[in-house]
Amino acid sequence: MAKDNIASDLASVRRPVETANGLPNAHYTDPHVFETESKAVLQTSWAGLGVGADVPENGDAKPIEFLGIPLLLLRDKDGDVRVFQNICRHRGMILVAEPRKIEGAIRCPYHSWCYSTKGALVSTPHVGGPGHNTHEDIVRDDLGLIEVRSHIWRDVVFINLDGKADPFEVVNADLIARWNENTAPLYHGGVDSQFSLDVNCNWKLAVENYAESYHLPWIHPGLNSYSRLEDHYHIEHPVTDPRKGAFSGQGTLVYRQLSGEAGEVFPDFEGLSDKWDEGAEYVCLYPNVLLAAQREHAYAILLDPAGTDRTIERVHIYYASPETDDTLRRKNTAQWKEIFEEDIGVVEGMQKGRSAPGFDGGRFSPVMDSPTHCFHDWVAAKLGVQAEG
Amino acid sequence: MSALDAKLLSAHARGDKSALVTLYAEAADAAEDIDAACFYLTHAYIFGLELGHADVPELHARLSQHGRV
Repeated sequence: MAKDNIASDLASVRRPVETANGLPNAHYTDPHVFETESKAVLQTSWAGLGVGADVPENGDAKPIEFLGIPLLLLRDKDGDVRVFQNICRHRGMILVAEPRKIEGAIRCPYHSWCYSTKGALVSTPHVGGPGHNTHEDIVRDDLGLIEVRSHIWRDVVFINLDGKADPFEVVNADLIARWNENTAPLYHGGVDSQFSLDVNCNWKLAVENYAESYHLPWIHPGLNSYSRLEDHYHIEHPVTDPRKGAFSGQGTLVYRQLSGEAGEVFPDFEGLSDKWDEGAEYVCLYPNVLLAAQREHAYAILLDPAGTDRTIERVHIYYASPETDDTLRRKNTAQWKEIFEEDIGVVEGMQKGRSAPGFDGGRFSPVMDSPTHCFHDWVAAKLGVQAEG
Repeated sequence: MSALDAKLLSAHARGDKSALVTLYAEAADAAEDIDAACFYLTHAYIFGLELGHADVPELHARLSQHGRV
């Protein structure tokens, strides 16, 4: 779809929530629009790729495909997390096919060109003929691995694929400021505190569902006994400039800690004021990271836009201490998994609904849907659509 | 096939890169000319680099002596 057509289709999306329509069907079903959004929305932003806990030790390397691009998440010999394009500069061969530890250098499995964990090309065997490992035309300093801009916040590895975004701390300064109390170290709960959900929906539907509390009493009735709809508030930081970050979500005023049979709870994060005793916030940091800030555990959900109608949700749960009660931690993971699985039916149902030609993007509740509209408005702005007035 | 050839093939089949470092260095020692020696030294050096092997500085020095790195 040409950009002009996208602009004309999205004019109604950028209207105020009272009169706006949601994004049209093509933004969920059309491979060409998916490709356009990949470039204009996901690659120009700071998108979540993985977490630091994916590569816990120096030398750990994990290949990750994102938007069809082969990437390599790697913790270098000095402990810095880096992201590279996972290809040899020689013949474009994939360098690392499976997660593993790099003991010394990354050796290409094809002609054995070798790279340091910092991306420097360190050896080019036989490049000048058998036993001749240099050639005047092969300048190693020019042929290091292609590094992707990355930044870690709350253990999430964010990447900016087009390399043109302002620094992460600038783009997302407002959420960083909003959560300025939530800076205590986060400790990943380990293998029993992560899981993935393979969902048949466009990635944006997962964002939209997470952003709003409107659905909670209908889809998560178990929450209703203590966390009623009226105990929630909207979080909205709408787009002002497409280069600036935006986010939306929901907060609760009645957060209740998980407790074990003997009343045990997880230790609290340090540095939190009283408002976090019963408060918690759930924010979609656009484009694709869903975050939770709570008094004694946090989580991040990374949305992998695997296709027009397929999203992999990767969930990672964090605690205030590296040592937590095993039984309580597993109970917590099970509880969140049950809640996130309850959402699958609705996001997949909305995906199917977007094959109905009569759907016009829908109309929003002016009161309850503004966090979702906030996201649609941001997507349209990233696609170059100007707001009226 | 020489005994060394057989050991090299076996190490390749096992994916035993540490053995490959040692065996290719042995092949270099037994080579009849500098080019052949540097060919084998290169293999020892590359597998050593991949492993972070303790012999890498020495292998690098030997290749460097012949202007091959």
